[in-house]
Amino acid sequence: MSQFLKTFLRRPAGAVGLTLLVLVAAMAIFAPLIYPASPWEMSGIPFSRPGENGMLMGADTLGRDIAAGVVHGARVSIVIGIASTLTALLIGVTLGCIAGYAGGMVDGAIVRFTEIFQTIPNFVLAILLVAILTPSIGTIILAIGLVSWPPLARLTRAQVRSVSTREFVQAARCQGQSTLSVVVRHVLPNAVSPIIVLGAMTVAAAILIEAALSFMGLGDPNFMSWGYMIGAGRTVIRQAWWMSVFPGLAILTTVIAINLVGEALNDALNPRISRA
Amino acid sequence: MTVVKSILGKVTGIAFAILVIASINFALVHSAPGDPALVIAGQSGATDAQFIEQIRRDYGLDQPWYVQYASYLKKVVTLDLGYSIRQRADVSALILERLGPTLLLTISAFLLSLIGGVFFGALAGLRQGSWKDLAISLVALILYATPVFWLGLMLVLVFSINLEWFPAFGYANIRAASFSTWHYALDVAHHLVLPALTLAAIYMAVYTRLMRASLIEVAHEDHVKTARAKGLTEGRILRGHMLRNAAGPVITFAGLQAGALIGGAVVVETVFSWPGLGRLTFDSVTARDYPVLLGLFLVMSILVIAINLLTDLIHRLVDPRIGAR
Amino acid sequence: MKRRDFNTLLLSGLAAGASGVPNLWHDGMAYAQTEGGGLTALLTPEPPMLVLPLNQQQPTIVAGSKIYEGLLNFDFDLNPIPQLAESWEISDDGLTYTFHLQQAARWHDGTPFTADDVVFSCQVMLMELHPRARGNFERCESITALDAHTVQFVLKEPFAPFLKAFEAGSAPISPKHIYEGTDYANNPANDHPIGTGPFMFKEWVRGSHIHLVANPDYYVDGQPGLTEIFFRIVPDAASRSVALESGEAQLSSWNDVEMFDVDRLASLPHLAKTSQGYEFFSPLLWYEPNLRREPFNDLRFRKAMMHLLDKSFIVERIMFNQAKAATGPLCSTTPFYEGDVPDYAKDAEAAAALLDDMGLAPDADGIRARISFLVVPAGEMWTRLAEYFRQAMAAGGIEVTLVSTDMAGWGQAVSNWDFDMTNNLLYQNADPALGVARSYISSNIRQGVLFTNTEGYENPEVDRLFAEAAVALDPAERQRLYSEVQKILVAELPVLWVAEQQYPTLYDNRLTDVIVTGTGVNGNFATARYA
Repeated sequence: MSQFLKTFLRRPAGAVGLTLLVLVAAMAIFAPLIYPASPWEMSGIPFSRPGENGMLMGADTLGRDIAAGVVHGARVSIVIGIASTLTALLIGVTLGCIAGYAGGMVDGAIVRFTEIFQTIPNFVLAILLVAILTPSIGTIILAIGLVSWPPLARLTRAQVRSVSTREFVQAARCQGQSTLSVVVRHVLPNAVSPIIVLGAMTVAAAILIEAALSFMGLGDPNFMSWGYMIGAGRTVIRQAWWMSVFPGLAILTTVIAINLVGEALNDALNPRISRA
Repeated sequence: MTVVKSILGKVTGIAFAILVIASINFALVHSAPGDPALVIAGQSGATDAQFIEQIRRDYGLDQPWYVQYASYLKKVVTLDLGYSIRQRADVSALILERLGPTLLLTISAFLLSLIGGVFFGALAGLRQGSWKDLAISLVALILYATPVFWLGLMLVLVFSINLEWFPAFGYANIRAASFSTWHYALDVAHHLVLPALTLAAIYMAVYTRLMRASLIEVAHEDHVKTARAKGLTEGRILRGHMLRNAAGPVITFAGLQAGALIGGAVVVETVFSWPGLGRLTFDSVTARDYPVLLGLFLVMSILVIAINLLTDLIHRLVDPRIGAR
Repeated sequence: MKRRDFNTLLLSGLAAGASGVPNLWHDGMAYAQTEGGGLTALLTPEPPMLVLPLNQQQPTIVAGSKIYEGLLNFDFDLNPIPQLAESWEISDDGLTYTFHLQQAARWHDGTPFTADDVVFSCQVMLMELHPRARGNFERCESITALDAHTVQFVLKEPFAPFLKAFEAGSAPISPKHIYEGTDYANNPANDHPIGTGPFMFKEWVRGSHIHLVANPDYYVDGQPGLTEIFFRIVPDAASRSVALESGEAQLSSWNDVEMFDVDRLASLPHLAKTSQGYEFFSPLLWYEPNLRREPFNDLRFRKAMMHLLDKSFIVERIMFNQAKAATGPLCSTTPFYEGDVPDYAKDAEAAAALLDDMGLAPDADGIRARISFLVVPAGEMWTRLAEYFRQAMAAGGIEVTLVSTDMAGWGQAVSNWDFDMTNNLLYQNADPALGVARSYISSNIRQGVLFTNTEGYENPEVDRLFAEAAVALDPAERQRLYSEVQKILVAELPVLWVAEQQYPTLYDNRLTDVIVTGTGVNGNFATARYA
């Protein structure tokens, strides 16, 4: 474990990423303490510039504090990012395991299905899903999860296939353990590290998809999110750049942090590949 | 014989994919809560129940779903995409007139990102650890994490609003009809710069990173070492051995990204008022224009399959070893 | 090493490209300027068609009203002025309306315009296609052509605002020789609409623009003053602002320009602004409760909500002063407006007292009631109105959950009465009998139909007053009846009126006589010209 941590932190990317991520996470967790008032509160003076009227990042068109929105928005982004990734993992890992372990016809069918799902323009599918199911935090998570699983399924399948051929798995099979038990106890644990890395990257991608959905007006109207803020500020960008610039920077920072952590994880978990 | 077989396999695969996509689309769109008859009525300012019933009958909306489904599949096979209630035009015509701008945008962005990605990736990968590598990697890292719509807005802020170099929106000048062909092409190209750059930037970042990693990997391969041992010049090693081999995986990956590229086009077209399929998709979702939506999804998916085939072709050209298989 | 050379080449190539770009742009600008008397107007969203009798969406009317005309138009005070009718008489019993038509008017295909076209349009075509026109012409006992240029409408019973039915968008006159006996919706002429108006259809590039050219045979000498009109379709609001700012477009209407941007654009030296020209429509915005549901069926709850709302906040911050606080069910620009009604000022204590009186005590979280709000999916203003409503109600202990939907879902929910609260905005169409009564009379509670009495308000007295006022001929008598009904409605709050929307029209200040009537940009633009 300490070896892992060392490798992880030795790369500056890992350290920087982790620091940023902790910062964003802290923002999300302590949002109600930093800005106790609702980010929807229209108490400020509209179009205040950053620093004016006691608002660090200025105010939006209704006098809402941008900084409060950025801080509270972290919660939505992170919750949606993680929850939709878990949804995607659930679908992708399950299908990938079945395909990789069962092989044959089942494998062929699942691979075909996955390929077709990858063919459909996934953001367009997400738009359609959210629009049909009406936008709410639940439907957004579901939609992002439903369009994000194919790469996870493919990776899981590949991993499971390579691990399944190894001796200890063969041994477990010969001992007469049930398929489920072999997969869960022997195959998955040895196949999991690249999946974790890809999972981290999926969180980043999910945050971007959520932002784009909110930007297009398909966000949950009860939660302040970064994409929503950019969408709302977009039309006034000429008069008030701060309304779209700060939430955009927040998304950027979060996604960079997750990607850096993912890469460092990759290096630490899969030292063979990272040699280069 | 094997070639014929592989082509045949590909064709049936594509046909099957289209069938599945068509079915998914149909199921999705028809589980929508909105009543299209009411939208049409509402939008024409109608307040008349009799009128709404009439619309329902006229457009077959009162039929059970399986009847609508069967007639939809039949139409797909005959390439009849139906008639748009809202726009009062044939869906195929609507899509066709928006297809050009989308193709122009996505293909420009695709090529730009691929060429840029391979170029910058090679630049960074060859001088691993140099300031060039650092700078390129850093920019790629940032671009990779940038929401595409936000990047578009920032480019508009800088290049349209502040510098006034490029138009902030649109496809061509309003009076473009009177332009000469050459002038018209220039005008469209001028409008294309920002949206194509926006869409390309994100993928360029991806390909840059891939190319860099790929090149570094290739540099350690035996045949490169052999070539070097044979005393070939660095330039020849680079062109003859490394670039081709390294670019292969990038191109394959780029093909797989086609779906994402089309998705990105939806957002970019919204930001830049680009009159393409993406813009049409969003308008149709909001308006619940069923026939257009169904047609769009089909066409976009076919587009993705086509781009996949195209990259396959490019890959064969770049890396002749594949063709021999 | 060739790579360095290649880099240098690439960079110089880029630099050359970049330096070439501004030139091209300026070149393009030269074309963007109007030469001759052409007008480029914005149009949002793209209309489905231009055939006015077949489609009455806003953008269809804006563009189609230059091609199609009505018998009458209306000045800023909503008095009738000639369009296809040169003059007209009304009999003393208010039953017979006789119109004398323009002698020189011709359809764009050269066929003379006659009384038969009017009879066909009002008696046949519009009856089938145009719900609002049907409502008006159903009142007719007969519609007859007395001679080639005289047409007579005889009503079954008097209907005071009948003249208002002849405005172009309400009753566009269509060519009989083209549409009679055909399938209107699929008539090939729909792709090339033919009207009598000052502009003729030239070309429509979908997704880009609609091109109209001046009608050289227009029946008014010296009109139109413009040589052509381009309606440029720009779906994005920010882009529309840029188009006005750069001079690429010279006119905006309705919602083209986001409200917050209006004042900035209006202050530019080359642009002028007017809020005149929407008197005929007079849109009124309100928050609509579903009176069939608890707690909205309780007048005290509705009063409490009204006391929690700050109309001036909505007018100033959400509508950026492109509006005026509403006082009741009529806009101040609609005839028979009554200003002497009770006022519900913002007063959190009064609201709390009303809620206490209802027995809605705050729970542990300080919440007295939980309601949902269906957000109107029609753009930013509506989203902000919903967000503001949630914050305003929160101050009184009413927790509001916003529900978002698409236009179809909204229409379905509202017309089938499946909502707690929502927003709504209706045009008053120049007379309370045409555009106001429909939202409050019990006979217009019609499930499945939008823009009816969707809140479910019922009051026999209100029904009676609206019915009497519609047929009364004496304006003073109508004023008395409408004043009474307005007082009752304001006391009972079937909906919470908040603002009269005042759409701005921004135009290039070299243009004159663009907005000359109460129908503004929905007029035919015959008089518009460059100074």
